[in-house]
Amino acid sequence: MKPTGVLFFPAFDWAISPAHPEREERLLYTRDQIFEEGIMDLPVIREYHPRLATAKEISRVHFCVPDVASRVTEAHLVAAGSALVMADAFMTGEVKNAFAIIRPPGHHAMTVSHGNRGFCDINNEAVMVEYLRRTYGITRIAIVDTDVHHGDGTQEIFWQDPDVLFISFHQDGRTLYPGSGFVDELGGPLAHGTTINIPMAPGTTDEGIHYILDNLVMPMLEEFEPEVVINSAGQDNHYSDPLAQMRFTAQGYALLNQKLQPDIAVLEGGYSIETALPYINMGIIMAMAGIDFSNLREPDYDPKEFRERPGNMDAIKALVREQLTNFREREAVVEGYRRKGRTVETTARTIFYDTEGIHEKQRLGFRICPDCCGFRTIASNAAHRSGRVSTVFCVSLPRACCPVCAEETRQAYEKMKGEKGYDFIYLQDRIADQFYTLDLKHGRETVV
Amino acid sequence: MLIGIDVGGTYTDGVLFSRGSVVHSVKNPTNEQDLFGTLLFVLDALLARCNGERVERVVLSTTLVTNLLAAEQGERTALVLLPGAGLPYSAYRISPDTYFLKGSIDFRGREIEEPDTAEIERVLEEIDRLGIRRVAVAGKFSNRNDGHEVLVREMIRARYPHIDACTSNDVSGRLNFPRRAVTCYYTAMTMRAWSSFADGIEAAVSAKIPECDLHILKADGGTMPVETSRMRPCETVFSGPAASTMGGVALMREPLNSLVIDIGGTTSDISLLIEGQPLYASKGALIGGHLTHIHSFAVNSVPIGGDSPVVEESGSLRVGPLRYGPAACFGGNAPTVTDAFNLLLALNIGDPEASRAQLGAVAGRLSQPLGEICRGVADLVIEALGEAIQRMFRQWEDEPAYKVWEVVNRKGFVLEQVVGIGAAAPAIVPLLAKELGVKYFLHPYSPVANALGAAVARPTLAVQVHVDTQNGVYTVAPGGLSGKIKGSNYQIGDARELARHFLRKMGAERGLSDYADDAEVYLEEQFNVIRGRGLAGKLFDVGVQIAPGFIRGYDGVAR
Repeated sequence: MKPTGVLFFPAFDWAISPAHPEREERLLYTRDQIFEEGIMDLPVIREYHPRLATAKEISRVHFCVPDVASRVTEAHLVAAGSALVMADAFMTGEVKNAFAIIRPPGHHAMTVSHGNRGFCDINNEAVMVEYLRRTYGITRIAIVDTDVHHGDGTQEIFWQDPDVLFISFHQDGRTLYPGSGFVDELGGPLAHGTTINIPMAPGTTDEGIHYILDNLVMPMLEEFEPEVVINSAGQDNHYSDPLAQMRFTAQGYALLNQKLQPDIAVLEGGYSIETALPYINMGIIMAMAGIDFSNLREPDYDPKEFRERPGNMDAIKALVREQLTNFREREAVVEGYRRKGRTVETTARTIFYDTEGIHEKQRLGFRICPDCCGFRTIASNAAHRSGRVSTVFCVSLPRACCPVCAEETRQAYEKMKGEKGYDFIYLQDRIADQFYTLDLKHGRETVV
Repeated sequence: MLIGIDVGGTYTDGVLFSRGSVVHSVKNPTNEQDLFGTLLFVLDALLARCNGERVERVVLSTTLVTNLLAAEQGERTALVLLPGAGLPYSAYRISPDTYFLKGSIDFRGREIEEPDTAEIERVLEEIDRLGIRRVAVAGKFSNRNDGHEVLVREMIRARYPHIDACTSNDVSGRLNFPRRAVTCYYTAMTMRAWSSFADGIEAAVSAKIPECDLHILKADGGTMPVETSRMRPCETVFSGPAASTMGGVALMREPLNSLVIDIGGTTSDISLLIEGQPLYASKGALIGGHLTHIHSFAVNSVPIGGDSPVVEESGSLRVGPLRYGPAACFGGNAPTVTDAFNLLLALNIGDPEASRAQLGAVAGRLSQPLGEICRGVADLVIEALGEAIQRMFRQWEDEPAYKVWEVVNRKGFVLEQVVGIGAAAPAIVPLLAKELGVKYFLHPYSPVANALGAAVARPTLAVQVHVDTQNGVYTVAPGGLSGKIKGSNYQIGDARELARHFLRKMGAERGLSDYADDAEVYLEEQFNVIRGRGLAGKLFDVGVQIAPGFIRGYDGVAR
């Protein structure tokens, strides 16, 4: 039997600020617990060491403004690189599954990155997805985001990608950051129904979450038939988390991973650093490695306190029915958009970076194509707290684009070179695996 | 004068060392049934050459405890565990006599569940009824609060004075409960046997050389006074490879990235020096399939040595792994690796004609020219050693890292030289170094470097403190001490001073005061404990150690 790969990178020398939830202390007690348990010594576990992600690996997902080197801290590069180490361990068959217990997290980071948002600079799972595709030729991937906060960054990155099934269950966005992740957020025109949100009422327990898992998540995964399943493994649904109000337990998390059987799990949020994280991380490792976790519990755990309220259970059942229908009818909706022929859908939105106080405005163009997944452009204007404003234009060419769209994308970038009013324009050419940045002020183009 | 004796599996080596020179060396077959007799024989042979000069110190490296544990001949020992929640109890397959008790502690040293004294009574009664006389007690997070372990030990002492009890926090204060439990279990199991061996040696040495210090070599390449070793017999395991590594360092004395290879009769032990400093096994010594908390050099053993026989097997050449006797050139009855190198490199060691006759027979059976056979043997040896070496490099490069700084500044291991130790090293090492593309280092003392390493190694001692200012307490390892911190505004410097204080104290108790000022910080961690928006306290982990090195006055060997 192959072992489970574990990469533990607590970034003991990195914090957003001294008293921030993302501080050095966050995984200290998790370290104490997993070291004291000696779980890393077991033959069913194989420990890995981290590496730095490269600018190219980041650029496959993100438009970092102005560039990767000045936007992304070394800590974020190590966290993303660690996810890639786990991807390699899994894909080369060294391990049966892999768990990256890393910080800083990533699931709030969106395609365009002007700064830190929801404690995230770059999206570790998304960087890993594009790495799996480029290095191992993987196409279909499912990401199950089990963080209590909506994985809005991951959702945005794969919004137009029909080959990534993104499922996020989280505390209702009306009661928690980032205030999104509602039932009607189902994905872009050609990827409708491969984004599935499951907002839950505050106070939902193991019982409620496992009903969702058994009756919605597992059936969707079975029908979608992904080549790789990723658990974006936040741990803040825990009953003791200080930033959220859910009632999930370490046993619940372990059981979730036993059922889900993720190929790769990547730690996201979770800020109950003494009462929850040491036990949940143990639980996830044990479940993934097939170790009996019945003896695992938090010091104050009392099973009687985690029964679901009947009213909430009814709401959950209705939600599950609705989302299963949305998922199963997705192809008909997509077909409807395809019949429109080659058109461009334009939208606009604003994004707030809570950590750094940046206000970003985006205008998005999405090419609808009858033959492929289409492509998108993003015009972005970010006002920093300091008063500095940066304006950029981004063109993204997915790997699955048809030749017509690919040609059009590259032309869109060339055409923008003559435009005024932008600081930088970018082309993300995933087919050629080349990533262009044009600094308009200095007339310099760089390629990675 | 200094004496170093290394009792190995096949041979016991001893040196008498004075003012940079080996005055006399002895090599004698080891009698596994009578290690004490073997030791005394070698000691007497060395003392006979003292010419009345004073011997200041004798250092022994022995396989006694290693052998006891390997042969499962330790005393029957009960293991009493307090694991609390976490891994299933089935994860702890250490002793056939294992008992689980209620009671648990968390990572901050807080009690989660109280022990049940009635349950402890029942378990102790059962252990006594079975006639078990040694008990090892280990609790999860006992290194943060050993109250439960101490409670069990005190109940044993009070009610069953004929039973010896060890607690895991006394043996090691590092995180990793299973390793602490195993180390404590092995300690309890071998304490009596080691102590009676130590009694004998101590009596013999003090009778022959009054006023002479007697030290025992540890797996970490340092020595400890024989008195200290009585409480920590397990630290004597794998001291043989440590002796060789220290011998290599003692002879070479340059801050180079090196590989020390001790080519013995049946095995070759390989260790790494990072800028001249021996590399430790990050997970502790592996004994009987269990990782322990015994600080040990990272040593890789390859079952090939100078006496490994050269045989033909189904038409092809094979080397080892058993030993039939010495090389043909030294009067053995079978062709060996040494014989092949003897001819290949025209080394002219022993009787080269005997090498030629024996390898010639192999060549005849394989219908190949003799030269090709010798070349083939060398290739097999170099290949096997090369693989082990590459594996060690990878192990070192694959060490986990927990800080951004460590990842960003990670360096690969760039080998600069090969240091050869052991009788067969002069034959094999030059070719190995050539294959690895680096220079080699051999010294006339290489064949006795293990005993020399023991003779000149200095005492080592590592002390680690964990301070929790929110709870106002500290714990010290080894020894399981704890106390309350004084004053407010406690800082890392205070924790460092606390660690140094305990190092000086323990050093004095162990007669190591001479070296206490050489202690260096090897671990320094501090974390702010933030609760709400404010600083609730700090956590410090500081380790100071007298690192492996050489005794005062040792200034290299005469070239």
